[in-house]
Formats: sequence, structure tokens, C-alpha cells
Amino acid sequence: MGFHSRNKFFNTDQSTKTWGRLGRFRAKWLVPTFAIAIVSISWMLHGTTPIPAQDIPTTLIMGTSADYKPFEFHDTSSGEDKIVGFDIDIANRLAQELGFKLEIKDMEFNGLIPALQSGRVDFVMAGMTPTPERQKNVDFSDIYYTSQNTIIAKKEANLTTTEVLKGKTVGAQLGSLQQEVAEKIPGATVVTRNRVPDLIQEINAKRIDAAIVEDTIARPYAAVYPDLNFAVIPNKDGGYAIAFPKGSKLVQPFNQVMANMKQDGSLDALAKKWFEDQGKPAGLGFQQIIPSIPFILGGVWVTLAFTFVSALLGFAWAIVLALCKISTLKPLRWLANAYTSIFRGTPLILQIALVYFATPQLTGYNIPAFQAGVIAFALNSGAYVSETLRAGIMAVDRGQREAAMSLGVPYSLMMKDIILPQALRNILPALANEAINLLKDSALVSTIGAADLLRRATIVGAEKYLYFEPLIVAGVVYYVLVMLLTIATSALEKRLQKSA
Amino acid sequence: MLRTENLHKSFGSLNVLNGITTVINTGEVVAILGPSGSGKSTFLRCLNLLETPTQGHIFFKDIDITRPQSNILKMRENIGMVFQHFNLFPHMTVLQNITYAPMRVRKQTKADATTIALNLLQKVGLEEKAHVYPARLSGGQKQRVAIARTLAMQPEMVLFDEPTSALDPEMVKEVLEVMQDLARSGMTMAIVTHEMGFAREVASRILFINEGQIAEDAQPEQFFSNPTCDRAKIFLEKMLK
Repeated sequence: MGFHSRNKFFNTDQSTKTWGRLGRFRAKWLVPTFAIAIVSISWMLHGTTPIPAQDIPTTLIMGTSADYKPFEFHDTSSGEDKIVGFDIDIANRLAQELGFKLEIKDMEFNGLIPALQSGRVDFVMAGMTPTPERQKNVDFSDIYYTSQNTIIAKKEANLTTTEVLKGKTVGAQLGSLQQEVAEKIPGATVVTRNRVPDLIQEINAKRIDAAIVEDTIARPYAAVYPDLNFAVIPNKDGGYAIAFPKGSKLVQPFNQVMANMKQDGSLDALAKKWFEDQGKPAGLGFQQIIPSIPFILGGVWVTLAFTFVSALLGFAWAIVLALCKISTLKPLRWLANAYTSIFRGTPLILQIALVYFATPQLTGYNIPAFQAGVIAFALNSGAYVSETLRAGIMAVDRGQREAAMSLGVPYSLMMKDIILPQALRNILPALANEAINLLKDSALVSTIGAADLLRRATIVGAEKYLYFEPLIVAGVVYYVLVMLLTIATSALEKRLQKSA
Repeated sequence: MLRTENLHKSFGSLNVLNGITTVINTGEVVAILGPSGSGKSTFLRCLNLLETPTQGHIFFKDIDITRPQSNILKMRENIGMVFQHFNLFPHMTVLQNITYAPMRVRKQTKADATTIALNLLQKVGLEEKAHVYPARLSGGQKQRVAIARTLAMQPEMVLFDEPTSALDPEMVKEVLEVMQDLARSGMTMAIVTHEMGFAREVASRILFINEGQIAEDAQPEQFFSNPTCDRAKIFLEKMLK
């Protein structure tokens, strides 16, 4: 499936190319100098031959939620998608020093801890604070960054301390530490959104009065939204740490490397790079996202491939279901009808989430987002199309069936060659509609992180602190695609009518 | 060739056939006549099991085809059927309509099937329509193609279910002529029809069905000039007026 290609954006394997693996690093300070020479020479001779080291696997998967600039976010300004940020730099450094290959998995923040627990990822760096609640479920490294929280509100609202937030509606990112902070504000009504840019937009729309956001995240928005006020909440506890599955052997070596980074000043250097060198955005609105438009357009292929594969599989499945529905066997009819009823009676987005999150737990297969989306869509679309198809089959003149039977044509051939082609012609407009619906609904796979059009647009939005512009770009692209599909199907219909 | 034994058919509480026992011999052309609703079409449709009899047996060449384990498909290959509404496949050309079953069911090669089909089309006078879709044909032409389609399977017997009833009057003749040629060639035929002239001229035997039973089984000459049962007399009076 096309989705595998997204890994190419995410593999940060320059570590092995430029630094070699763990053995070389350890040799530098654990064994006499001549050993360095031997190891280095052998490494140079053998290229990237791994030197076995401790208990660290050669590849580690890091989970993050890359909508948290400047800690982790998608950089699309080169037209390609790269996840960058403070956390990512630290992770790359860890990979260099400990000699593992780093793979980054991007997901929603509130899915990170479940991902650790289910073994989808080996560790998580996502600006995560070790709260007692989280510590029950995962292990944490030492704190590598101490955070402060900021109250963001309209300037005229004058909401600068937690005390005056009483009775107000306060937003926070779902599953984040700030949500807990907000919930501790007496008398405040807390609402959550999946992403920080959503919160900013809600303040602008005056749906919420204020939002609690991590300080370094909040700061860049000040440049983009001059009518917002940013007030730092004095820090009592908090700070970010790396999360691991319970009992992970990675904690100790990770802490060791980070202690070194604190000592040699490289951690401070990274903080300076990411938190202070944030220049003002160049240009306004659409001008800003122009460099990212190729990246958004890259999602067209994901969206089209997704729609095409789902439609095809869904259609094949619909034929099976429709044949069951017109079967003379009662149990088959009953099963097909029950199936249809369930899949038409529950939300598609729920079906997607179930397939994506339940498959690894039930089967152990770590299903990629694209595949999970295709399966959910095919199952769902099959239910709808099977009804249309059944009606189409029933609408084919009874005499067609009798003529085929009287010629000794077996049932399967009769369906394939005589009945279905005529049924399809009858329902072609309905099928075209279904394809258009699939195309638009494909945006739902962005919820499980597939890099489709909508997902890419929101990624660009988070990167540029803009909300509407990337969405409008995506909207125009969707509209053009739907129009092209409409034109194509009506041309096909005309051609079919001619031959009839 | 075909024998029925005490054939019954009911749709729900409606009894359409009430015990029909008869034989159709090889080479016979049997015209099945009767007032509408008498069950003559149902009887014909039972013969190739398009309708399943509720009771009784049908023997095709002494094999009981009403037994559950009988090979219905094989039987149908050998008993062709021509319908009132032609039932040509609209998404196929005339040639494809005719060659489809021979190729897919009889496993003939495309070349063989095409040769046979063109030959049949020539016989029904439509060889120039081979690559036309059925929608472009007149009713009479459609029915002639339908007959060619049936004959392409080289059946041992052909059932005709009111083959001219859906046709405009001026097209009836062309279809009847084709059927007459077929009868002359020695084909075993069972024909449900309202064409009294045709039945009299072409049929070798008349089955008159009334209320789901055979009311009269006679030679055409005798049936038309001197029917024995009263129902047949009334029927003929109306039809021949």
C-alpha cells in the first residue's frame, strides 16, 4: 500500500551513517585509546556493520504527536514532510550515542500512552510531563526540559491569572498536562480540543474564553495574533521527560546520555536553537503556505489511492453481500442483512478507530493507518452498495434470468455475464455518488494519521500557526477532484446509454 | 421424448395445473391451446422446470428430471425455449446473444460458435444484423434472433411460449414462417399460441387445456372441424370469429 512510503520521511538514519553505532561511542570513554583506533578502522572498513551493544535493539520506534511546535512538528516548507523540533533533535542525539536506528511514529497525543502499552512504540517524546497518573502506566526518564504554562486569551478579556478564570470556559489539549492544570482551576469549565491550533482558533471565535498552553508552544502565536494576550502561570512542578513502557531497559542508558548532554551544554544549545530563534513569519496568510502547497498536494495521491482501493474492495464485498441477500438460503440472507444494519447504523469514524486500534490487540498485526482505513471504508461502503446492488439486480427483467436458465447457463455465469452487467448499468449513477462520497469521507482517515489531503493541510496549519488558509487549499483540491469524478462518470453514463 | 405424469402446480392456494399426463414424441409439433388463465403457459414452463411442479413427474428421454438430484442444467441445454417478450440480452450484440451459451455452456470455440450463429442468422434472414444491439431491432427481428439463439444450442426440442403475442400484427408472419421452416426440418416443438391458423396448418397435434387439465388431445383437422368438448367449441367460436 502506498502508505508505506511515508516511512521514508520518517527514517532518521543519518545517525548510523555519520557516527556509527553504540560500540564506537562507548569505546571513546570506556576503553583505552588504541581500542578507538581499532574499532574506528574496523567500522570504516565494514561500513555500517553494527557492533553489538548492551540490550538496545538496532531499531527503536519513537512515538510523538507532531503538532507541538517547537518540540515536534512537521516541516513542510521544502515541499517534503519532515518531523523536526527540540524533542526530535534530542532523539536523534540519543540514537547517535546509543547506536540505534530511530523511527518516528506520529499520532494523536492521547494515543501515545496506549501505544507504549500495546508495544506499538518503544518510547515517547512528545513534551510529556510525568504525572502520578501517567507514572502508574509508564516509566519516565529524568526531566530534560522544565515547562511553564501560559494563559492565552483575548487582550480585552484581561484574563491573566488562574484566579480570574473562575466561571470562564478554559480550553486545553486533550490528554495533555495542561488539561489537568485547567481542571484544577476552581470554577472553570474545561473544554478540550485535539490540537493546540484548534484552541487558538476557538479563542479567536470566542467559543472559549482562554486556553492553557505550554509556554514555548504558546509564544510563537503572539507574533501571529497580536490581539491575544499571553500570561505565564508561575511554575510549581512539571517538566518534560521521555516515557517508556513499564520496566523498559532503555531508561538507564537514555538518562546517561541526557546527563551528558546537560553537562556538555548541548541541551542548552538545542533549547536556544528551538525556543529563541523563532523569527517572525514571512508574509501573511496564503503567501506563507505557498512553499507548503506541494506538500499538501502530495496528499492528493494518498487520497485518490485510498478512495480507489476502498471503492474497489468495497464494491467486491458489496457483490458478495448482495448475492447473499437475494439467496434462497435464509441464514445467508439474515447474516447479510444483519451486517448491513450494523455497518449502516454506526458512525464510520468509529469503525475506522476500531479497526485501527483493535487490530493490533486482537491479531498482533500492527496495521498501518492506510490499510486500517481501507478496510474500514470497504466494510462500510460494502454495506451501502450491497443495498443499491440488490435493488439493481431486482430491477433487471425477470425474463433475462429465465432466458439464461432456459439456455442451461449456470447460476454463477448468469450472475456474472447477464444479470450483474445490467444491474450495474441501472445503478451507475448511484455508484458514482458513492465514489464521490468515499472521496470526501476519505478525509476521515486523517484522524488515524494517514497523510491524506486533510491531514497534510492541518499539519501545515500547525506548522505555520495558520488555520483557515491550508484548509481552504485542501477544500479547493477536494472540490476539483469531486468535479473531475463527476464529469468522468457522466461521460461514462452517456457512453453506456449509447450502446443500450 | 417428453412425458408428464399427473402434473400439478399451485401458486399458494391457487391450483393452476390439476394433473396433466401426456407424451410429446420426437418430431411432433404440439400446439397447446386454451382460454387465458387455463394454465397452458404454466404447463409449458414446467416442462423445462422454469416452474417447479408441486406434484407429479416429468420424464425427458425416460429420465425423471423432477427428482432433486437430476441435472437440470443438462436438461435445459437440450430443451430450448422461446419467450413472448424475446428476453434477448440487451448488453450484447445479436451475435454475442447467439454465441454466448454455446461458448460458455457447450464449450464451443469462438470460431465454431460464430460460424453456427451466422448460419442461423442467415436462416432467419438477419445476417446483416449480427453486430447490432437488440435495442435497434424491431419486435419481429428480435424474436427471430431469439429463435436463432435457442437453436444455436442445438436442442432436441424447443418450447415456444406465445412467441407472437407481443408482436405488431405485420410482424407476426415473419416469425411464424421461421417456425414453420423449423417444424418442417423435423424439430420437436411445443407451442403455446393464439394463432389458430398457424396451429391448424403447422401443428401435428393439438392439446386443448382448460382449468389445468387436458380437455382435448386431437389431430388439428379433427379439433378445428369437430371439437368434442363444449369448452373447446366456445373457445373456437370466439377465436375464429
